[in-house]
Formats: sequence, structure tokens, C-alpha cells
Amino acid sequence: MELVEVGMRLGTEYVEVRAQRLFRTMLTMKDGIIEAAKEGLENGVAIRVLVSGTWGFASVGSFDKTQLINAVEKACKMAKAASRKVRIPVKLAETKAFEDKIVSKPRKNPAETSLAEKIQIAASLNKTVLNYDHRIKSCTIDYLDITGTNYFINNNGTYIEQDKLYVWSRVLATAKEGEVYTFAREEIGSTAGLEVFEVETPEAVGERIAKRAVEQLKAKTPKGGTFPVVIGPNVVGVFIHEAFGHLAEADLTLKGSVLIDKFGKKIASDVVTVYDDGTIEGAFGSFKYDDEGIPAQKTLLIKDGQIVGLMHNRETAYQFKTSPTGNVRAEDFRHEPVIRMRNTYLAPRDCTFEELFEGIKFGYYLKSFRGGQANLDGTFQVGIQEAYEIVNGEIGTPVRNASISGNTLETLQKVEAVGKDFQLWPGRCGKGQLAFVCDGGPHIRVKEVLIGGGA
Amino acid sequence: MEELEKEETLSLCERAVKAAEKDGADEAEAYICQIHKTAVDIERGQIVKTVTYTDKGLGVRAVYNKAVGFAYTNLLTKEKIEEAASKAFSSAKASKPDPNWKSFTMGKCFTNVYKTFDGRILELSSEELVDIASRMLQTATEKDERVFVVDGEVEASCATKAIFNSYDVSGYDKGTFISCGLAAVAREANYVTPVCFEFDAKRTLDIDPEWVGSETARLTSSALKAEKVVSKPYTVVFTQLAMQLLLNYTLVNAVKADYVQRNQSALKGKIGEKVASENVTIYDDGILEGGFRTWRFDDEGVDRRKTIVVEKGILKSFLYDNYTARKEEVDSTGNAYRGGNTPYMETPSIESTNFRFVPGNKSTDELISEIDSGLLVYLLQGAHSSNPVSGEFSVVAVPSWKIEKGEIKTAVKGAMLSGTVFEVLNNVSALANNERQVGTLVAPWIRVENVKVIGR
Repeated sequence: MELVEVGMRLGTEYVEVRAQRLFRTMLTMKDGIIEAAKEGLENGVAIRVLVSGTWGFASVGSFDKTQLINAVEKACKMAKAASRKVRIPVKLAETKAFEDKIVSKPRKNPAETSLAEKIQIAASLNKTVLNYDHRIKSCTIDYLDITGTNYFINNNGTYIEQDKLYVWSRVLATAKEGEVYTFAREEIGSTAGLEVFEVETPEAVGERIAKRAVEQLKAKTPKGGTFPVVIGPNVVGVFIHEAFGHLAEADLTLKGSVLIDKFGKKIASDVVTVYDDGTIEGAFGSFKYDDEGIPAQKTLLIKDGQIVGLMHNRETAYQFKTSPTGNVRAEDFRHEPVIRMRNTYLAPRDCTFEELFEGIKFGYYLKSFRGGQANLDGTFQVGIQEAYEIVNGEIGTPVRNASISGNTLETLQKVEAVGKDFQLWPGRCGKGQLAFVCDGGPHIRVKEVLIGGGA
Repeated sequence: MEELEKEETLSLCERAVKAAEKDGADEAEAYICQIHKTAVDIERGQIVKTVTYTDKGLGVRAVYNKAVGFAYTNLLTKEKIEEAASKAFSSAKASKPDPNWKSFTMGKCFTNVYKTFDGRILELSSEELVDIASRMLQTATEKDERVFVVDGEVEASCATKAIFNSYDVSGYDKGTFISCGLAAVAREANYVTPVCFEFDAKRTLDIDPEWVGSETARLTSSALKAEKVVSKPYTVVFTQLAMQLLLNYTLVNAVKADYVQRNQSALKGKIGEKVASENVTIYDDGILEGGFRTWRFDDEGVDRRKTIVVEKGILKSFLYDNYTARKEEVDSTGNAYRGGNTPYMETPSIESTNFRFVPGNKSTDELISEIDSGLLVYLLQGAHSSNPVSGEFSVVAVPSWKIEKGEIKTAVKGAMLSGTVFEVLNNVSALANNERQVGTLVAPWIRVENVKVIGR
């Protein structure tokens, strides 16, 4: 409160203060050996001021009052210095003020669970993976939980106390036979509690990953070229997130993404509807209020092929003359709040799994991804860890090291059919800082996509 | 900022070590890192933001019965430090013993390093940083009105590191860093180029913002009017930016001792064998003058050094930290690293320092002039999806340009490259003389024959 007042006295248009008390537990287990179990405590404050249309951001890893007041003053001074050059001053969309306190109530709170029990989860995952097959050569498990509280206050009258709770794990298995090396990995993530491991049991997850690594050993490399494909929820998710989602983050749209002049236009085939939804209970990308104090919501981005929404913060909402969508997040007090996706997905329709494969003489079934990336011009690349040939409508031989590439808008137009199944996958998205998200959708069929790979 | 000085920092480390030992730890190690940063950010063609950042913290490792525990705190009071020490100890007690654990680092003879600290960087005022950003931005935009600056940043930072352990290893070092960079697109009619990027970064106050501005504009406008290419093998020239992306997820991991020991490296058992063309000599040089990753000691207190990794194509050595080295009873190569924004939160892992390809003597013009049909690849997209074990990759080369009859021609539209990193290394036919550092890679432009390109 005092910091907000200091900021106001220094002639700012806007001041916000975010304070954080965070506890983290992390551990890495390599082939059954704990590399280090870590526990830690982080306290800090992030301050944002708007002075003459220019942002000043200060992050201080301390609650020391003198240091914090100095930081507000420094942020104001620097913003003032930079504002000499500003042509189009930053302005913020008006919003309602909120006062709220969000308390998380997990059934199994990681903060109250012993480290030994967390090590046990990793140990059973490790055991399942390594015992699956003699060709499995290594298993690496990362585990992370974050608990704590965020305090948010601004000069518009918003005051929010919000508990944070994240549980995350990543499993990576490698297999080798002769000179062929393969690997498989998967992530688990939740904003509920450790109860996520009751659904995704270490045994089920471990077996799934080990099986994938081993099956790829007999896989062949794909032919390069353009082919029809059926894409599974895991790959649809990363495609929607990377190739489309980032372009619809309004800050990136304004930076010149290909969507800049497409708003309201048809950019995808009729069967494509896309949401970014921050309200799915327990999902990895869900929360109650964003880091500008705006409630999270379900945002419709593409409706039957037409782009109808973007993801906004208060600054871009002002420029587009609309309202902020509750998409703003900062990884912690060290980072400034930016527009991030939450749970992003392509909405299911009515095709059965079999219908999607019908009539494909030769193509690929892309089941799970390895990584993806996109450029503002809409060029995207998604690496695939698990894929199969499709021959005469049937799933055939496994294929490894494939990747797909193309232009987002061209590819969205080529979506021919959308399945009725649905899955969301947790992930971590980097945009200069990390955010926890989910993405997914149903199985879909795309008329043609460029397949690369095959050494 | 409230900066801790050398004696105070080391005494806080010592306090943590003693506290852990008092709790019953067999041995302990404490590490402090302080980081202070000031930045001016450009977005959508104008300066819109300033950032100041201050954080410091302590990480402590405690060993009990060959099990390692770790805890950290960013509040450096006596109580919080002692609390961290006892948490580290109790997490060691909760873990299982690791039969390969020997001990923390012993011995303490640190190398001198040069051009890693410049007091002038600390003294830059807000106005001076804004001025650097504004000169860079202006140079980029005044040249060509089709060029639109998407992002940019000028950042000055200072970091200090300190380490102390039960064996009286005690080290303190301070380094500065300054960088400026721009990302831009060009628009003409209905066509938008991919994002093009250029930067300059130094440990001393010797950056050239005007060069960054004009290079970004030149690259961006020459990426207009892109054309497709025919699928076939090409001679490819990789710039440092592209090569860094390609190697970072493949070769750099394959030479790390932990990858090798855990059967995750295709180079396992290949010491003394030919793994690259004889044009290729690679050092991991932790004491390179002005290197981005040059420090007196690594992040567990081993002196930094220069390690030959590949000599004229022959694999010579892997990169070790204390743990992996002791497992094989060899010396650590000083490659323990705690990364990211908050190194004090991390336990050490193996990372390359300054991964240096010895340059050749051709100018870039000569390198290009000898190519009949090729590509100049500036950046790669999707390199992080490479297979880290086998080194297989399948990536998009954007932006890239065609090379025809010895000259750089039009830009290329979304071509894909695929192969394995080891084929690439074996097919290196020449290296230019334009060495620069990008991330951990220090290299010139590198020419590679016979790279599989899929056009569209």
C-alpha cells in the first residue's frame, strides 16, 4: 500500500505492486539416483509504474522497505528518462476493481507432504520405466511443486490475495538397439494437488513412455514431402498453441504477426473452432485472477473458421478498444506480467476415429510431439516423437524423427475433419519466461502438410 | 543496490557450511550469486519500457552418508541461512545414498581471467542506456521504410559469484555484461518476412548499437521476395546463430560426461576416433578473454580451463564436472554450471563454457564465392526438437538465402534441413575467419557440403 502511494506521489499514471512468498520443491532422479532434492524459499516484489506513457518495471528479491522504496523511485526515474523518446504513449483499458482472497484447498497438499513421499513417486516411475524392457537405457525424472501466496495491489483499488499451487513432473526415457537411439518423454501437471498422481499413476505413465521409446526402435524414417495426415490431440494441442495461439496473443499480433489484418476474417476451414480457457478446474493453465488483477475467462479465438478474438492485457485492450481477457501472467516477481495462453484447444466435432483415416491411401498419423516453434510470419515447425504410416486407411509401421512444417494459415484452411474425442495435455511455454499451460483437442485430419526428417 | 562485498559474501557462505556441518552433515558447500540488471526495452518501433532487477540468494548442498541435499533462500539473514542449511541436511537424510558420490571439490588454485569486468557498465545512467537503444533503433528504421522493429533491448548487468566448502575452497568473482539486440520484420505489398534478428554483446563496454541497427535492417529487407527451392542436397553455410542452435541440442550434449556415462550420447566410446572433418578443431575454453561464460572458477569451485574436445576431426575429451570426473577418476574440466536467472536456486550440472571452433582463414566472400549452388542459413526454427541422443534433426531454415554461382541471391521460403549433426560435422569443408560468440558457441561461418534440403 505504502509503495503504491510513493509511486503516486512521484507523478505516475499507474502503479501496481505484486509481492510473493514462494516455496519450491524440486528433484531430479537419474536412473534411480537422486541428483539433488531441493527445497527453497523465495520472497520478492515486482513493481510496475506508468510514467508519461512509458513503463518502468522493478524487481527486488527482498521485502526490505528502504530497498523497495528506492526501487519505486528508480523505476519512475528510468521510465521518465525513456519517455522522452515515446511517440505513442502507453494507455490502459479501464477495468473494474476487485477485492478478493483465493485460498487453494488441495486434497493432498504438496506443502504438507514429506520429501520422502515425493521421492517415492519418482522412484516408482523410474522403476516402471527401467524394468519395462532391457533396451531401455536411461530414465530421467524431474519433479517440481510450487506453493505460496501472491499479493496484488494497484492504484485502481484492486487488492487480491491468491494462493499458488502447481505440481509438475517430466519423465524422459531413452532406448537403444544396435546403432539406433530413441527417446520418449511426457509431462504431468496440475493446479490441484498431489492427487494428480492418483489418476496419472506412476505405473501407467511409466509404461506409456517406456513403450513409446521401445516401439520407435523398429521405426523407419519418413519420406520427405507433402502428405495427408491424421493428427492426435497431443500434436493438435502443440500446433494450436505454437502455430496459431502465439499469433493471437495481442502483443505479438501488434508486433506484426500474420493475424494483424485478419481480424473478423475467415482464416481456417469451417470445422475449426479454438478456445483459450483459464477456467477449467485443476487444469495446468487455470487460475482465478491474472497478474493484472483481471478474472480469468474462457475466450473464443476462432469460431467456425473465423477469427473473432485475441488474448489481451490492459495495454493491448486499450489499443483494440476492447476488454482485457485475463491472460496476463508473470512467472514470478523477477518477471514482468505479459500475455500468456492458458488452456488452449481446438474444439471437438463429430467424426469418429475411423472416419478420419478413411480414404487416405498413404499418409502419416502423428501421435505425440517432441517440440514446436513458430515465427510471426506463420511458419511453424513441430517435431514428432511418435508417428505411424497410414496405408490404405489403416495405421501401419511406426516412424521416427519426423517433423511437420508449413504456414499456419494455409494449414488451418486444410483441416478437413475434426474428431469427437478430446484430450488436454499439460506443458510449459516459454516467452522470455515460463508459464504453465495446457493444450489439446480431438484427433483431426489435415489434407496435406510438409513432412521433413529422415536422416 | 545493496551489494554485498567480498568478505561479507564469503562469510555468509561459510556460515551456511558451518551450520550444515553442525547439524551433522559430513561435508557442505555454499554458493551465493547476486545479479543486478538494468534494461531499456523497445517494442513495436519505440522505446516503451525500462527494467531494473536485483536479486541475490544462497544455495547450500549438504552431504550425509553419500546422499546430497540442497536448499536455497533469497533472504540472507542469519536465521534463513541456517534454516536453509538444516533443510539441505534433512533432504540429504531423506534421499538414498549415491554410491558414486566421492566428495566436494578440493584444491583451490584459480586462473586469472581477462576482459570480464568493466566498471563503466555499472556506471551507465538511465539516459545513457536510453541513448544506446535510441541510436540502434534509429539506424534500423531510417534506412528502409519497409522495415518494422518488433522488439529490441539494451541490457547492462553485473553478477557476482562466491563459493565456499568444507575443504576450504573459497572463491569470489565479479563480471559484467552488456548487450543490445533488435528483431524486425519487413513488409511489402502483402508479404511479411520472418523475424530477422541481430545483436552485439560484450563483457566490456564495447558494443556497437549502430551496427546492430543497420545489420538488422539489411537482413530484414533482403528477406523480402522469398522464393521456393528445389529439394536436393545443397552446400550450406551456417552462420553462428544457426550453428549455435543446431549444436546446442545435439553435439554440445553429446560431449557432456553425464550423457556419455548414462548411454545418452552417440559419442560414447569414440575418444580417439574421427567424428568430424579434419577441418574441425573445437575447444571448450573457460578462460577465453572476454568470453560470455568466462569466470575464474566454475560453479562448484574448480578452476576454469581450456579443454580440447575435437582436434582435426578426432574426438579428444568429454566435458566433466566434479561428480562425473570422480566417477571415472579423472580431473574435472571445470564445466559445472548453475544456470538461468537464479543460479543460486540450481544445483550444478555440466555445461559448455565458451565452445570454440578454431576459425579458418577464408573471408566470408571467399567462402561463398566457391559455392555453385547452396544456401546461406541465418537462423533455424525447431532445433530444440532434435533427437538429443542420436543428433538427428529436422528443422526449418528461416531466414535463409540462396547462393548461386558464388553469390548470395534471393531469400528462401521455408525450406527444411534434415540429417544428423555428425554428418554435418563430417561434411564441414571450410570455416571462414569471422569469429564471433553467440550463446556458448564461438565460431566463424561454417560451410557444410551435402546437406539434405526439402523445399516445397
